[in-house]
Amino acid sequence: MTGTKLLMAFPVTATSHMLADYRARGGYRALEKALTQMSPQEVTQEVIASGLQGRGGAAFPVGRKWAVVKLDDGQPHHLCCNADEGEPGTFKDRWILEHAPHLLLESMLIASYAIGVRHSFVYIRGEFDLPYRRLAEAVEEAYAAGYFGERILGTDFACDVFVYRGAGSYVCGEASGLITSIEGKRGYPRNRPPRLTVHGLYQRPTVVNNVETLANIAGIISQGAEAFRKVGTKTSPGTRLISISGHINRPGVYEVELGYPFAKFIREDCGGVLGGRALKAIIPGGVSTKVLTAADVEPLALDHAVLAEAGSSLGSGGMIVIAEGTCMVRLLQVILRFYHHESCGQCTPCRDGMGWLHGIIDRIAAGRGVPEDIERMQAISRANDGTTICGMGDAAGYATVAILDKFRDEFDYFIAHKRSRFDGHLEVAGHA
Amino acid sequence: MPELFINGRPVRAEKNQTVMQAAVANGFAIPYFCWHPQLSVAGNCRMCVVEVEDEKNGNWTDIACNMPVSEGMRVLTDSPGVAAHRKAMLQLTLLNHPVDCGICDKAGECTLQDYHYRYNGSPSVSREAKVRTTKLYPLSERIVLDNERCILCSRCVRFTSEISGSHALGIEQRGDHSLVRAAEDGRFGSDPYSDNVVDLCPVGALLSRPFLHKARVWYLKWTPSVCPGCERGCTVKLWHRKPEWKLAALDPRQNLSIARVTPLENPAVNGPWICNKGRDLARIFERPRAEQAMLNGAPVDLPAAIAAARRLIGEAKRPVALLSSWGSNEELAAFKDALAGRFASFVKQDCRPEPGEPTEDHLLIRPDKNPNAAGARRLFGDAVASFQEGTDLVLVWGEGFDFDRLPTGAKVIFLDAYLRPENARADVFLPLSIQTERSGHYTNFQGVVSAFDACFPKPPSVADAESLFAALAARAEVRA
Amino acid sequence: MKHLIPEFETLKARLPAGFESSLVLPCLRRIQEERGYVADGDIDGLVEYLGVPRIQIEEVLSFYTQLRRKPIGRWHLQVCRNVSCSMRGAEPILDHLARRLGVAPGQTTPDGRFTLSTVECLGSCGTAPVVMVNDAYHESVSRSELDALIERLP
Repeated sequence: MTGTKLLMAFPVTATSHMLADYRARGGYRALEKALTQMSPQEVTQEVIASGLQGRGGAAFPVGRKWAVVKLDDGQPHHLCCNADEGEPGTFKDRWILEHAPHLLLESMLIASYAIGVRHSFVYIRGEFDLPYRRLAEAVEEAYAAGYFGERILGTDFACDVFVYRGAGSYVCGEASGLITSIEGKRGYPRNRPPRLTVHGLYQRPTVVNNVETLANIAGIISQGAEAFRKVGTKTSPGTRLISISGHINRPGVYEVELGYPFAKFIREDCGGVLGGRALKAIIPGGVSTKVLTAADVEPLALDHAVLAEAGSSLGSGGMIVIAEGTCMVRLLQVILRFYHHESCGQCTPCRDGMGWLHGIIDRIAAGRGVPEDIERMQAISRANDGTTICGMGDAAGYATVAILDKFRDEFDYFIAHKRSRFDGHLEVAGHA
Repeated sequence: MPELFINGRPVRAEKNQTVMQAAVANGFAIPYFCWHPQLSVAGNCRMCVVEVEDEKNGNWTDIACNMPVSEGMRVLTDSPGVAAHRKAMLQLTLLNHPVDCGICDKAGECTLQDYHYRYNGSPSVSREAKVRTTKLYPLSERIVLDNERCILCSRCVRFTSEISGSHALGIEQRGDHSLVRAAEDGRFGSDPYSDNVVDLCPVGALLSRPFLHKARVWYLKWTPSVCPGCERGCTVKLWHRKPEWKLAALDPRQNLSIARVTPLENPAVNGPWICNKGRDLARIFERPRAEQAMLNGAPVDLPAAIAAARRLIGEAKRPVALLSSWGSNEELAAFKDALAGRFASFVKQDCRPEPGEPTEDHLLIRPDKNPNAAGARRLFGDAVASFQEGTDLVLVWGEGFDFDRLPTGAKVIFLDAYLRPENARADVFLPLSIQTERSGHYTNFQGVVSAFDACFPKPPSVADAESLFAALAARAEVRA
Repeated sequence: MKHLIPEFETLKARLPAGFESSLVLPCLRRIQEERGYVADGDIDGLVEYLGVPRIQIEEVLSFYTQLRRKPIGRWHLQVCRNVSCSMRGAEPILDHLARRLGVAPGQTTPDGRFTLSTVECLGSCGTAPVVMVNDAYHESVSRSELDALIERLP
């Protein structure tokens, strides 16, 4: 048992994602409470008080982001739910879309009420078909029940939602890339300033929140910020949905109370490493987070501050377990191939840097590496640190540097011997 | 008006300026590829990074082109951190660059070359093969694109969407396989401002096809001039061979021709742009010249022709003058002084729009296709030319007059620069110099006066209209 | 694509005024759903209907991996090659499919039935390896399952 459950606290059945079941669980009562008993400002205050941090990767305080939007600026505002979920290793938003779409919609309605949004969007990655259909059905149900449209629950609040399908681009999961994609263009991220909460979708104040982030809102409003703070840790209240995959016996989505012991989660709740192998490393929060060795992981709790202090991050909650005997050179090769493929190409360091990194790791993996290659990859990573339009360049750099730091000996070996120290495959034998 | 410090020097900025704008306005050099004062901020080249001092949280760096100024901020444009960053950015920019300067027209005026020597200077540190892609890709009939040289600064794309409004260029694909491309309906070819992207391109990716491989830029010098294509009177640079680079092997006329035309930046008139008609001025100026004075088609020397003209002027009872709207202010003033008392003078439209030529738009192009109609009308009014009963002499100065409209029996004195069948129909034909052979001024439709200088010597047998008018007036008797 | 305009009008009605440009992606997806790809004539029609610059549509078509301007095989076998899938056997799956179908990734079988592609993370890492066949995820997929699929699909 991974602690208190806030989001996955109901049995998944053939109908549990539908409106009737959701209402039977108490669904849409938080919306009613917000619309009839609270002002928009009070809703935002409650979210601030809850200490809820973003669950998309950056862990930014959610209420503080909402508070930037001025309710009386006379402009239209927009809420965009980020359901692009492209960070490798991450598949937990998908769980919410498939099994709790109404939780998301109710939360979006509450958020829209709080920040003065008439037209909200869910940006869902193009490849998600079943999640899209579940969400679209839920939207239809919600409209039919009067939860969207004009005069919601008999109040002055009006709100619409539009589910916008992506078409295959990781960088559209970046908040400003997402917005530019909703504008019907290439998903090019934008420079800041201006912040998106000041100039976002069609230059209007826009809040972009992750699916899981929003999914927490209904509970915070119905149970109150105090109750939310009782779960998790002081600096990281609540729970995280962890999607765990890789060399693990029981991969899947788990709701974990923040503060839960990391090693226990791996060994007990997720069944431990495949094939009875020892744990080698874990990428804790999606490939854009820094890898941790088994020794690093042992004393840690699953908590934002704790991971940050350990030099990594819970990121998107996409945990990838790596068994002893896995070649980290080949692993980095897959990761850099990904970044190279997904770079939008706007800015110099990422556009040229990703190709360069990929070229070097390919050469090393083909047995033609030279010792200077390591320094060169570190230099390219440095050249991407804080110099790019969006965080993808930095992320690729951090991921690269962390793997090089923690597993330097493997890279030295590969370069010297022109082959992997291991069998070179990424699968655990017998578990492919 | 916030005050900030750049390299320790206090600088007053406007409230909504960026550090880049404040720096440029105050003479600080921050390198950049993608920034341009007339285009939106793209912030993609990452060259203009500066360091901002912050004692409390530690110095931070960011691009200057998107950095709002703030009161008291202390900016460093050349710190060691900034220098290291610039070097790294150049290494990355040059990573896939073909470095084929030896065959690239941009050599000598290439920002990438200049920055490489100033801020990097080291050979490549990459062992990887360069990304190869399209070279000599025709974006239109006028512009050729080398995607390997392209650094994807997007200036050309922003130009067509923000300035010319053709939305003709974009970037396709993504990552290091991104390619600048033109819309497939060919609209870039009909964008009358397309060639400005050649000036905008900081490297040799976008090149003018007419100019392709014609000359190294260091063989050329430029002379300031005014485009005669319309009454906007954009100021331009006429590029031609420097005297020390004239090639004996070339046809002598190649040494005296316009190699290319680029804008001469002018905030009052055209900013940093010109239209494509202005690029093709060689086509206009270098038409076959009339160099021989004639009497009814029979060649004579210039003094004889002038004498004959003077006689005609003296004898005429009702002379009419049709004046060139290509004439410079100086030439027009000379006519006014010398001969206006003698002639009923009207300003003539030398050039009309060609079929298909854009007449007017939101940017530069104006409907009157003559450079000095305004200057001419200021001196001679805007009455439309008419031949009253009894007109017996018509002095036609400049092209564009239909000789079939001449009143029957009238004599014609025709002054012009170019070879035409009409030249032989005139009773007196006097060959003139052209704009590139003298200096002068035009007044544009807004009243702005701009100067042009001579770049070439005039053929010895032609006359400057200015001195010709004085000569024609000498001993011209005024009849009551 | 003109017959799709009534559908597009319904979509447009659900968006605020001034959001015509946003219709580019949904319209292209719908056009591709029907035709299998987006044809040049579709681009012309969409430009006319939406009033956006043609270059915007050309850029979008080339930027997003799911949009295409050329037809592909009836069944698009998209093999995820990202980290978790590679750790659970994506490479052997890809090799197997390539050998079985006789095509390299990026190619279509001569009979036009199958196109083989590699893709990045599909958001299904817990059930790796994953192959997306047209719109459907085939999760925890085995070689034998894929063989059966190839036999079964028309």
